[in-house]
Amino acid sequence: MINFAQGEFAVFGGLLTYTFSCVLHIPILLAAVIAIICTAIIGALMERLFIYPLRNAQIINVIIATIGVSILLKALARLFWPEEAYKVPEFTSSSLTFLGVTQRSQTLWVFGLTLIAVMLTYIFFNHTRVGKGMKACSINREAASLVGINISNMSLYSFSLSAALGGAAGLINAPYASYGSGLFLGVKGFTSAVVGGLGNTFGAIFGGLLVGLIEELIAGFLQVVFGISSGYRDAITALILIVVLLLRPQGIFGRREGVKV
Amino acid sequence: MKFKRLVERIALTRPGDFLRRNLGPTVLLIFLLTFPLWEGSVSGPVHIKFLERMRLVGIYTIVAVGLNLLLGYAGQVSLGHGAFMGIGAYASSLLALRAHVPVYLTILMAMLVAVLISLIISPILRLRGHYLAMATLGFAIISFVVLREMTWLTKGNEGLMGIPKLSLPGVEVRTMGGEYYFIWIIAFLILIFSRNLVNSRLGRALKALHHSEVAAETMGINTSWYKIKIFALSAAYAGLAGALFAHIHSFINPGIFQLNLSIILLVMVVLGGMASIWGSIAGATVVVFLPKVLEAIPYWFGNKSLTQWFSNNYSNLEPMIFGIVLILVMIFMPSGLTRGLSDFFRYRRSPFVNPLKRGSGI
Repeated sequence: MINFAQGEFAVFGGLLTYTFSCVLHIPILLAAVIAIICTAIIGALMERLFIYPLRNAQIINVIIATIGVSILLKALARLFWPEEAYKVPEFTSSSLTFLGVTQRSQTLWVFGLTLIAVMLTYIFFNHTRVGKGMKACSINREAASLVGINISNMSLYSFSLSAALGGAAGLINAPYASYGSGLFLGVKGFTSAVVGGLGNTFGAIFGGLLVGLIEELIAGFLQVVFGISSGYRDAITALILIVVLLLRPQGIFGRREGVKV
Repeated sequence: MKFKRLVERIALTRPGDFLRRNLGPTVLLIFLLTFPLWEGSVSGPVHIKFLERMRLVGIYTIVAVGLNLLLGYAGQVSLGHGAFMGIGAYASSLLALRAHVPVYLTILMAMLVAVLISLIISPILRLRGHYLAMATLGFAIISFVVLREMTWLTKGNEGLMGIPKLSLPGVEVRTMGGEYYFIWIIAFLILIFSRNLVNSRLGRALKALHHSEVAAETMGINTSWYKIKIFALSAAYAGLAGALFAHIHSFINPGIFQLNLSIILLVMVVLGGMASIWGSIAGATVVVFLPKVLEAIPYWFGNKSLTQWFSNNYSNLEPMIFGIVLILVMIFMPSGLTRGLSDFFRYRRSPFVNPLKRGSGI
């Protein structure tokens, strides 16, 4: 299923962190944790209120409902945070020099937190009961419910989890948060997931890295060599998405699987 | 041969039979033809400019019908139809502005351009379900970026201005009523054409491949060719609608044809009812009029402070209510407005029950 509201969770993650740390003056790390919990709660609410009643509907109806949720969340974000952009403070404001390269420490935080998030997700999906149940659900719902997995709980958990991860991405990644940035974030996320192979946790990191690198490199190359403006950058991600979907739908690292009829 | 049989059939049909069989379209036609005559007396008291909006409804109906053929009948999701509208709009207005081709020809050429581009990207039709949705979404982003960045041709974000009005050979359509008739005559013909298409060999093939592509192929249906055909047809509709849009507004920029438009088009189809040709009108009407009705409601009460508060918060309230309506319709009328309501009247079945089960198609 595609959740069109996924990008909106990232937006909420960023904006909530801003509110907690800059308006309520909570220490930034604590603020981040609270923001992630809040987005998870929003995700859970969304599932119970809007997705759960649609459990027997056609997939396209569910997708349209997530579009509705995304429109609603965007309007709410604009209601509470009406300005164009908010500066989310960095975790630690210093820079590090390593092997002659100076980096803002925020970059390290991004790397570290991404790694931690991915590790946790991996462990969750492969070594816990709930995670394995969720995986089973995504493979075959009927079969999963036959062996005693509570499908409706799994759906609730997976929405909360993906909202929490989306929120984390939003607050770590964006130095600026604004209500309008949701959709492009969602597309980039989906592209990374597809490049790494859907359902492959570690593939997603490589996918993300690869997409980011290719985008920067091609945009730079076009600009320096052909003098084409860097405005085409946004199109590159979309192009990567289409090419990978056509040529390697199982992802760069995935194995090709037969299609069952 | 076929023509002769058709003539015989028409000669044998009594007018009463014809009317009974085509009651819906006839009523619609009479409504549409007479609408500009009496709309003035209605639009004043309720504070909605009906005629102006109805032109848009016609345009969106054209796209929605095409998308409905693709999504409702063939089961292929597309998030790229806003882009096809953009391509049609730019093709038509550039040809009219730069090459000074008469508008009635540029509209046809715009359809042609949209079809060509849809054929170029048709390999993505191999993908299924969400993958197809994401690939068409990628196409929408690419075409938006290209329209924005090709500044030498499209003037980028500034947009094109002074696009000529709609015209027929020798006549320029200047008034709003003229534009209304121009658009709705095209839209009505397209509705009739699509209805007949659905009941033809092609339509049955599409329904078959919607249900199961493998089964359809074993029955000898060339599924990939049919998918390409219907994709190109719906792209042609979108290109036509985009061209009409450009010529009645005389200003376009890439921002109009962003991803949001594609999503709104999808919403129209599902809201009106999938696999329902007439549902497309309902979907387009609701999407076009809902914001205007919301805007007009405070005027009905004539309360000054309420109106003030409403117009201050309008930019937030409108998407919020739109989102909620969308979700509620999906939950309570999963088969769309037309299907839900017509089932209610015809079979006394609650519109809140979904006659289509999960697992059919996408």
